[in-house]
Amino acid sequence: MKIDKLFRRTRFGIFCVFAVIVVSTSALCLYTVDTQLSAEYEINSKNIAKTVADSSVDILLNRDMATLQSLVDQFIEIQGIRYIYITSETGEHLAHTFVPGIPEAILASDHRSTEPVERELPGLGNFVEVGSPILAGVAGTVHVGMDLDVVALKFQRAVGQQIYLVAGILLFGVLASIWLVNLAARPLGELLAYAVELARNRDEDALADREILKRDDEAGHLARLFLHVARNGPEPESLRAA
Amino acid sequence: MAPAGFRLTRKEFIRWGLAAAAMAPWRQAPGSSVSSEEIVLGVSAAFSGPSRGLGTELYRGASAYFSRVNETGGIDGRRIVLKMYDDGYQPDPCVENTMKLMLEDEVFLLFGYVGTPTVTRVLPLLKKFQDENIFMFFPFTGAQPQRQPPYGDFAFNLRASYGQETAGLVNNFVRIGKERIAVFYQADAYGRSGWAGVRAALAAHGRQIAGEASYSRGAKFTGSMRRQVEILKAVAPDAVICIGAYAACAAFARDAVDLGLNAPIANLSFVGSENMVKLLTEGSGDPEPYTRLLVNSQVVPSYEDLELPAVREYRELMARYDPQVPPELIKEEYAPFRHSFGSLEGFLNAKLLAEILRRLGGEVDRGRLEDAVFSVKDFDLGVGERVSFGPGRRQGLQTVYYTVVEDGRFVPLQDWQGKFA
Repeated sequence: MKIDKLFRRTRFGIFCVFAVIVVSTSALCLYTVDTQLSAEYEINSKNIAKTVADSSVDILLNRDMATLQSLVDQFIEIQGIRYIYITSETGEHLAHTFVPGIPEAILASDHRSTEPVERELPGLGNFVEVGSPILAGVAGTVHVGMDLDVVALKFQRAVGQQIYLVAGILLFGVLASIWLVNLAARPLGELLAYAVELARNRDEDALADREILKRDDEAGHLARLFLHVARNGPEPESLRAA
Repeated sequence: MAPAGFRLTRKEFIRWGLAAAAMAPWRQAPGSSVSSEEIVLGVSAAFSGPSRGLGTELYRGASAYFSRVNETGGIDGRRIVLKMYDDGYQPDPCVENTMKLMLEDEVFLLFGYVGTPTVTRVLPLLKKFQDENIFMFFPFTGAQPQRQPPYGDFAFNLRASYGQETAGLVNNFVRIGKERIAVFYQADAYGRSGWAGVRAALAAHGRQIAGEASYSRGAKFTGSMRRQVEILKAVAPDAVICIGAYAACAAFARDAVDLGLNAPIANLSFVGSENMVKLLTEGSGDPEPYTRLLVNSQVVPSYEDLELPAVREYRELMARYDPQVPPELIKEEYAPFRHSFGSLEGFLNAKLLAEILRRLGGEVDRGRLEDAVFSVKDFDLGVGERVSFGPGRRQGLQTVYYTVVEDGRFVPLQDWQGKFA
């Protein structure tokens, strides 16, 4: 005989606990990935901007624009870095990586700014731009644009992997809980079947050699108690009252 | 067996063995590419990709002269041999090729390199190995890095610089009243070098670049340059100076004409003039509109100028040897020109280098190379301008020539006012 109703809430409770654990862990994990990834890219961009700025001093003072451009071109090959431009102290764009031209938003921006700023450049995408001054800004500024779409893509990939993992854990957890509950419910089902049979059949001796009576657990104790009650009849009122 | 008290561990044995090998007389000395029979020169250039015409033409001219040298006994009995690699006009392969040439092939010197982005990346290698006295001779670029500190001491140039070419173009345009000058350039060190030249030349006239547009290196003629044309058209330039290679510059000239940008379009010597005109005229019903407003600066005289002894010699040797790029370097089809500015430059490079090698006087040693170069004073290369070198002068020629297209050929431009005003 199947025991369904008794463990319905238990199963639902286990499912809910699993779901809460899984969702909260995933959310925390994704938040961490997002913030860490963005922070790491931003730090990398700042470091690159600073490296270019430090390397540019002599080149700028020598007015060697070809070497300056060559330096910039080497850094643009780093993943996530989509553009680099160097402005002079007067705002002239001395070297850059834009094709076919420098976007209007950048031409109109404050060339001395070194604070991180988010940019949406039509036809190019979304970026976080950081800057680094050359010779404390008196020789110009290096600006590095980090591709937010690359960060978003990495984040999406991390989310996708997380979803697969979480769904797997959830499914496994639910199946495991069902199996465990069923494991616990099986002796109860046998006890219920035995009690029903005992109630229908008054020949107690015929029911005295069942397997359930040999169990050394609560189901076995109850089965033996039921048999005892069936053989000896209900307890006297005086004992029941005591 | 080692004597008692003198036992070698395995590490010590290897270390002693290596030291002994290093002192052995049969060990190849640095620059071992020089033997009693030959002098090996290292070449990394564009023999593939959209700019393969540049490397091919330069090689053909140089090879024609070296063939004659080898046929007539070489340099003090040594044949000149070129060890060649293809870099496709890309910096990273060029750096790899140069490492191979310097460390594995141990060539005597580097010769005939093509392009600014490639050469700019190789120069630090020359500084790194400066104790080996490896010099770069006559690269096909007019950029500044190999003409000034910190790398100027490791290269010798024959051709005029991009600064001289762009200054000449700007000065001539300004002289005829075309002061709003825009720039179309390759987004790399070469483009930036030309851009800087135009900027400096305009600044001398109290002007600024009117507008600029760029393209990515490796662009093909079949690609569109309409966006670049639109950017420049918006600033209504009087003239456009292009700093690029032939495929992209031809595409720009084509789209400029198609979109109604009716301004003179100037190109630097590096462009590869013949290839550019070939692209613009091939398959075009009436090519004249696409070439009418072109003006190309050159760093060698016209190969049609038979009054110049070097040009006569060049034409004779090109006809006699008709050099071809070695088959192992050919990845894409290319039909070379009988004569071209590029091959004439290669020819002059080879002629001067052979003269320098002769001045070593049979003692072919890298350490003596610089002195041999500096001994070149008022040398008549046969182009009308005498060549001199010295510690403060590492560029042989200074003259810039201007050419326009007539009947599908480049001819000297005599009258700027009459042509463009």
